[in-house]
Amino acid sequence: MNSNSDPKINRRDLLKGIGKGSALVTIVAAAPSVVHAKEKKVRYGMVIDVRRCSGCQACSIACKSEFDVPLGGVRSWVEHHEAGVYPKMERRMMPRLCNHCSEPPCVDACPENGPDHKAQGATYKRDDGIVVVDETKCIGCAKCVDACPYDARFMNPFKGDPKLTKGNGSADKCDFCLHRISQGVAPSCVNTCPGRARIFGDLNDPSSEIAKLVAEFDTTVLRRDKKTKPSVMYIGADWIESKRDKKANQFSRVDTHRKEMSSTRFS
Amino acid sequence: MFNRRNFLKFGAASAATVSVAGLSLNAKAAKDLPIRGNRDFSPITGKERKMIPSACWQCVTRCANVGFVEDGKLVKIEPNVNSIRTEGTLCAKGQAAVNHTYDPDRILHPMRRVGKRGEGKWKRISWDEALTEVAARMKKNKDAGTPEKVVYHYGRAKASHSKTVGGFFKAYGTGSIGNHTSICEGGKWSAQELTWGGHFDNWDFDNTKFVLNFGSNFLETHTNHIPVAHRMLWAMADRGVEMVTFDVRLSNTAAKSREWIAPKPGTDTAIILAMINVVMEEGLYKGDGEDMLQYTKVTENDDATVSQKIAAIKKHVKDYTPAWAEKISGVSASKITSLAKEFATKKPAVLVSYRGLVAHYNGNEGERACQLLCAVTGQIDKEGCRMKAVGAGWNFPKIKSAKKTPKLDIFDGFPGQAAYPTHHVSHQVLKMIKDGSNGRPDMYITYCYTPAYANGDVQENIDILKDEKLIPFYVSVDPFYGDSTMYADLILPDTPFTERWTCEDMVSPSRVAEFYIRQPFTKPMGEARDFSDVVFDLGKRLGIDMGEASSHEEYVKLSCNNTPGVKEAGGFEYMKKVGVWHDKNAKPQGSVYKTPIPSSVYKAKGVVLDKESGVYWKPKNSSDAKKGYRATKKAFKKYVAQQMPHGVFSGFAPDAVNKSGYLELWSPLLKMKGFDPMPTWMAIPEHQKMSKDDLYMTTYKVATHSHSRTMNCKWLAETYHSNPALINPSTAKTRGIYEGDSIKVKSDTGEFVTKAKLTESIRPGVIAVSHHCGHWAYGRYASDKRAPNEGSDNRGDKDYKLKWWTDNGVHPNWAIANSPDPINGQQRWMDTVVKVTRV
Repeated sequence: MNSNSDPKINRRDLLKGIGKGSALVTIVAAAPSVVHAKEKKVRYGMVIDVRRCSGCQACSIACKSEFDVPLGGVRSWVEHHEAGVYPKMERRMMPRLCNHCSEPPCVDACPENGPDHKAQGATYKRDDGIVVVDETKCIGCAKCVDACPYDARFMNPFKGDPKLTKGNGSADKCDFCLHRISQGVAPSCVNTCPGRARIFGDLNDPSSEIAKLVAEFDTTVLRRDKKTKPSVMYIGADWIESKRDKKANQFSRVDTHRKEMSSTRFS
Repeated sequence: MFNRRNFLKFGAASAATVSVAGLSLNAKAAKDLPIRGNRDFSPITGKERKMIPSACWQCVTRCANVGFVEDGKLVKIEPNVNSIRTEGTLCAKGQAAVNHTYDPDRILHPMRRVGKRGEGKWKRISWDEALTEVAARMKKNKDAGTPEKVVYHYGRAKASHSKTVGGFFKAYGTGSIGNHTSICEGGKWSAQELTWGGHFDNWDFDNTKFVLNFGSNFLETHTNHIPVAHRMLWAMADRGVEMVTFDVRLSNTAAKSREWIAPKPGTDTAIILAMINVVMEEGLYKGDGEDMLQYTKVTENDDATVSQKIAAIKKHVKDYTPAWAEKISGVSASKITSLAKEFATKKPAVLVSYRGLVAHYNGNEGERACQLLCAVTGQIDKEGCRMKAVGAGWNFPKIKSAKKTPKLDIFDGFPGQAAYPTHHVSHQVLKMIKDGSNGRPDMYITYCYTPAYANGDVQENIDILKDEKLIPFYVSVDPFYGDSTMYADLILPDTPFTERWTCEDMVSPSRVAEFYIRQPFTKPMGEARDFSDVVFDLGKRLGIDMGEASSHEEYVKLSCNNTPGVKEAGGFEYMKKVGVWHDKNAKPQGSVYKTPIPSSVYKAKGVVLDKESGVYWKPKNSSDAKKGYRATKKAFKKYVAQQMPHGVFSGFAPDAVNKSGYLELWSPLLKMKGFDPMPTWMAIPEHQKMSKDDLYMTTYKVATHSHSRTMNCKWLAETYHSNPALINPSTAKTRGIYEGDSIKVKSDTGEFVTKAKLTESIRPGVIAVSHHCGHWAYGRYASDKRAPNEGSDNRGDKDYKLKWWTDNGVHPNWAIANSPDPINGQQRWMDTVVKVTRV
């Protein structure tokens, strides 16, 4: 879906060597979740109804400020996909974030998890389905950044233990605003969205808004071929999986404010 | 240090019963999700952040918001979930206002120029020194009988800010007060004042079935952006409401529409007139349209029957056929016809218009044509249609004006430039100062305004601001080292809006007024002072009676405690806690024009009937009564009711010009000035003389920036900082231009070099260049230039060294003339003709 305009530059290099870590401990790191056998397992997810999205970036800035994300780093962003030939043009909005995969390649890639995932390393999946980063354990290798098929991760120069990360900072990404949802408050992006395009909740609770939406609408996930089983699903974005944008002589462009992810194609 | 043990303690101590560790255990918490906002927690410590309700100022929409403060620092801004205007939503710009507070290039002390103008050499001075100098200049002019030479020019001053700051200058005795609305949408407002009286149209998306949009990108940016944008998105998704958008460029609003139609720039008016033709020819005015026509003036004669009115409209639009409009606009006649029918039959429908329609030579007529199309389909000020605006009416403490407030006649354009510039012609002010025929300021004070950057013809603006012969003393009130402020003699460091008090009143789409206040999230940084506080100080120095209050906070307090409704809710203390108030029992307003007026009102003492206009009014004296309603200066202020053949009604009351109480589409006022009284096609002169080589240049705004004042916000600058010219590949090809090429854009006014962005999302023959970018000052994030004398200090900002972009974009205004709509003075942003070549 995206192609790097300059393959030589990746986000790891971008932020390499800049800044030193400060805040070392997060709630996430300190709070592995526990599940009691009696309870039905919670699986947190997000539905993004792109029919309701105008590409306004309110979610992007809500996230930026919630976590004071440094310039160059992005936990949540919006892509604009254009395709067609004048005057039959379409532009579709594609809000993006960590997909909180059921089979997360980033967890597989984290060397701190050990070969059989016995150790709880720097990046792991909680029992409620949220994939988190423990910055106190991150060694700054950025293997998870490269492993993510969704470009959802970046190296945060202000996070992690500099001794462990060798100054590379810690991996960072969306955690569904764990610190807010644990207090019963919606994630920052969900809270501000003018179109109410983002719906967060428990996919396993049939009475939740998100579960009802998934039951009612056809949903799409990104890069199904990667077999990651994302917990982020899209309504009104069936074009992601169709081939119609790849027709001959058709203009197509993906715009984002992420420097390394903008591309124009004339096929 | 925070470790796991501490964490567990924190979990127990936390007021909430759910700790992070227990998150997945608590079924109730999961069910309750998501509870929306007004609460936030630190992602680092988990501590709840202190919530302060306030209001935004990033754009004129001024949404209610809440700020979160942690250890005395503003860390986050969110929507106020209790607002009926925003319904708990907020845009990107509003949230990024945190960056204003902590912009490392904020000016924190008054500064006096020591080098040449614009050279960047400054001396830090005290507030006392600064205000002593300003007061001395004001006193000198007062004593000399020339208070009008103190010129106050603001960009945005609303509600209590307008009352206090504007009130101060009026109390001092100058009427030389300018605004900047003509570079926004002033022309649209003037056209509305000529037709339905007050300015502002509220689009009732909550109740509509169809939206026809001429040139508004309201999902990204608008004078009431979030309150209308979110409602439209909900209407589209929840009720399947469809929209058709006319725009030369595929804006995000156009992209969300059922259809995007790109006419030739400046020809939308022809399309709207042709739609009226279709409605009349097909008889689609029957019923609602006929009803509306009873309240509508479309003939010279006010006694005309509805059928005579129908005949008059038919006659007027006879030649405006869809085939005629196709030739002019390039939009097919069949498309115009089918959309006209759809608009007239899929009721209620909203007709939206904005700068794509009105920032042209013929913009006034475009907006008047919109009013006529709505009238003949019976879709004016009715639920689900374009409606009149409803805002909050505060009971503000009075600040008495001086007995006389003379003014320099420099705010309404050169003689003959604009017939009814009711929102002034701000883009001509500097030119008129240069001309000098109507006098020049001794002291020019700008507030929340950057004349050099915001207007067209940037080079001329800079030249004038730099010329001490033209402007002997320039005071800029600005929180930042702005693109105009750098040419000032004295900088008074204002607070960003995050550190201010204000009563706010912006329009509510639900048609129930929302009262809301702005309060500081944090104390003013450094020595920065809110100018609306400073004027109370200046008032004391000059012996000016500023009324009951002695600070802006007190002014807001008095307003809250004296305004019915707000007062009973708990006044100032309530507003500080909640931020917003509306009357829960109020019915949404609408169709006020139909209200019959009892004879006790229009036959009351002093009220007379003006036979010529049918207006009942209260002339000040017998000489005014003799002159008549239309000929008496500001007679509209004395309007009482309108006599119509079927009764006496409150009608479409005038608000800025002496129009009648009809929806006045046959305008005696325009006829008086030599224009066609009915909405008429006016070809754009420059577009008739274009050679094959020429292109149209239009401008636009994106969702993440305001016109001039947000590029210092690092999060917004990161999101959008460069603005290559949009050009269709077919147009580029004939000029040998490829993606990313440097191109020169040249007009009669000036030129600039930018990059080409090839896209099929724009009409061939047009280039579009956004505003926002290409600052030459305004701090490091906007221009890579630091503010003088304080610039070495990062003030704890960790980010500048991570700024990964070097292209700060290009400002199109170097090549755009300052040129007014001949009727209302609106700046013609969209009429520029350019030559584009590869560099």
